[in-house]
Amino acid sequence: MAFNKKFVTGMTFAATISLLAACGGGGGDEGGSEGGSGEESQGISIFQTKVEISEQLEAAAEAYTEETGVPVEVIGTTGDDYAQQLQIRLNNGTGPSIMSVQNAEVAERLESYLYDLSGEDFVSNIAPDMELMLDDKLVGVPYSVEGFGIVYNKDMVDPADIADYDSFVSTLEDFNAEGINGFGLSSEAYFLIGHISNYPFSVQEDPVEFMEQLTNGEVNLSETEEFQRFGEFMEAIRDNTPTPLNTTYDTQVGDFAAGQTAMIHQGNWAAGMLDEFEVDFEVGMAPFPLEGNDKLAVGVGSNWAVNAEKDQAEIDAAIEFLDWLHNSETGQRFIVEDFGFIPAMTNIEAGDLDPLSQAVLEASNSGDTIPWSHNYYPANVVPNDFTPVAESFFVNEDMTGEELVENLQAAWENAAQ
Amino acid sequence: MKVGMSVANRKKVGWYLIFTVPLLLIFTLIVLVPFVIGIYYAFFQWDGIGANPMVFNGLDNFVRLMDDTRFLRSAWLTVLFTVLSVITVNAAGLAFALLVTSKLKLANLARTMLFMPYLIGGLILGYIWQFVFLDVFTLLGDATGLDSIFFNWLNNEDFALFALVFVFTWQMAGYVMIVYIAGIQGIPGEVIEAARIDGASGWQRFLRITVPLLMPAFTISLFLTLSYGFKIYDVNLSLTGGGPANATELFAMNIYNEIFGYGNYGYGQAKAIVFFVIIAAITLTQVYITKKREVEM
Repeated sequence: MAFNKKFVTGMTFAATISLLAACGGGGGDEGGSEGGSGEESQGISIFQTKVEISEQLEAAAEAYTEETGVPVEVIGTTGDDYAQQLQIRLNNGTGPSIMSVQNAEVAERLESYLYDLSGEDFVSNIAPDMELMLDDKLVGVPYSVEGFGIVYNKDMVDPADIADYDSFVSTLEDFNAEGINGFGLSSEAYFLIGHISNYPFSVQEDPVEFMEQLTNGEVNLSETEEFQRFGEFMEAIRDNTPTPLNTTYDTQVGDFAAGQTAMIHQGNWAAGMLDEFEVDFEVGMAPFPLEGNDKLAVGVGSNWAVNAEKDQAEIDAAIEFLDWLHNSETGQRFIVEDFGFIPAMTNIEAGDLDPLSQAVLEASNSGDTIPWSHNYYPANVVPNDFTPVAESFFVNEDMTGEELVENLQAAWENAAQ
Repeated sequence: MKVGMSVANRKKVGWYLIFTVPLLLIFTLIVLVPFVIGIYYAFFQWDGIGANPMVFNGLDNFVRLMDDTRFLRSAWLTVLFTVLSVITVNAAGLAFALLVTSKLKLANLARTMLFMPYLIGGLILGYIWQFVFLDVFTLLGDATGLDSIFFNWLNNEDFALFALVFVFTWQMAGYVMIVYIAGIQGIPGEVIEAARIDGASGWQRFLRITVPLLMPAFTISLFLTLSYGFKIYDVNLSLTGGGPANATELFAMNIYNEIFGYGNYGYGQAKAIVFFVIIAAITLTQVYITKKREVEM
């Protein structure tokens, strides 16, 4: 077994150099066909972030192709790393004609890829203040109205028992004594800290202005009362429930459906999964009682945007599809019935809603809502910076809520620099 | 090329080209070209989005590396991980190889089974072990009362790295075992027998005969585990995802997060260059040292 010298040296070189190439390459290996543009009709492709509607969207695309003959390719979504995957696709030329843009922060980064939809017919039906604007251009059409809060089992929890800090904590303690998980989070970035971190921001008088001041160093989270209370809440949650780091979204919702968890922090999107489990109890959604908050957090999860880098024919075809989705009877039926969306368009009637969506719709109609602050966070701060902080908080039992807030402050500074 | 080359010789060159040129083209296209482009990007500040401007900033990216605590921590973790893995993988691999080359009845079966984890692939292996650590370990802890050993290692900032070493060893040991088997089978029986007749004990035979004659296999195995260990990503991603609290964020993942998480394409590339230089230096040194210890029969 004599390995000759040249062979070994060659292999060393080849293997080490491939490390670097592997790093640079990222994950753009899925390349592949772009929209199968036939000669007779311009095809389009859709790459979007919401896992829950993947299959339904494919069905909608099929229906559209049947009606109009325009081929629509729906590229499978991956969920959490959507932003990275989209970036890879845009860079290597396999970008979709229709994509999701989560919020204004992301829109700013992708500015040159976003087609100005201001003049299109169907955007006039977007509910007030729900459109995604970049400067004075309308670049995103909202998916739907969504809301999150404490999703609770009506057989186990009385909303009056979780209306303020003291009752919330004693409810958690009671459940803990019975061996029931009182309040379930899960390990994914947004379900662990992203959504719940909204409250101390959103109960500020002007959350957006507060966040600007935070970025400019004019306020400090540790010195802000709402955050001090938030730290106490998080401490109570950690001390009285099993660690969320062992839980995924699926098990979080599954345990809730099985009655092993009394409350979970989730949004109306979880209704679909609860439906699949055929839960035999009533569910409700209650506000998170931070500093007397009695409102659900309601906002827009994501927006449809059209890729401006495509040639005009494809852009037009993409706009036509969005128009069909929001204006035709078939399209609207898909949005309401199949996607289960609470429409963010004034010309679409909400259908038979599940109880969670109903709660969100009622809150939204009455205006009793707090905004989604995380749409104004520095880009990617939740998975990049907040999640490690939250993980170390849940791993180290002796870390205090105060330290959690200090670390969130540092995380924000790191992301906003 | 010599003028008047014989037909046979020309034919040989033809065959040579048929087999090497496609490979060379592919290697150039997907390894060399991105490598060079990557070096170019390392001198720019750029967010990785094609349409956005690239700003040349000279060596700033490399200077910034020096006091990036997250990167330095990641570097230290990677070194720790690699050192531990190289030891455990090679010890386990060599032990397995000795076992299955002995006169064991089930040697062939054992060989297949030990090699199996390598075939499963890092991503899936990571998810399987995630389940083992989460459910089986906690169950064992409850059942045996040894919950200071059997708990979910993945949720502990110190133990998560050991979990990673453990799973990587599980994956790679079978692979280096094959290399060691080839080496052991290349040792002529008469040498061992001569030593036996001279009265050398089993341990002496192993240390004085087997190990020196296995040096070429050590060269290859150490090189493979060193470089695999440094550039590990798949097991890292699926087992811990870098968590908890970045306690297992190794080099490759740190670079990925810098580029795609924070959108610092140029800076991430600078990290990748440094990463390359370090690994090249370490592995070449290792190959040089172990090559010198190889003995010729």
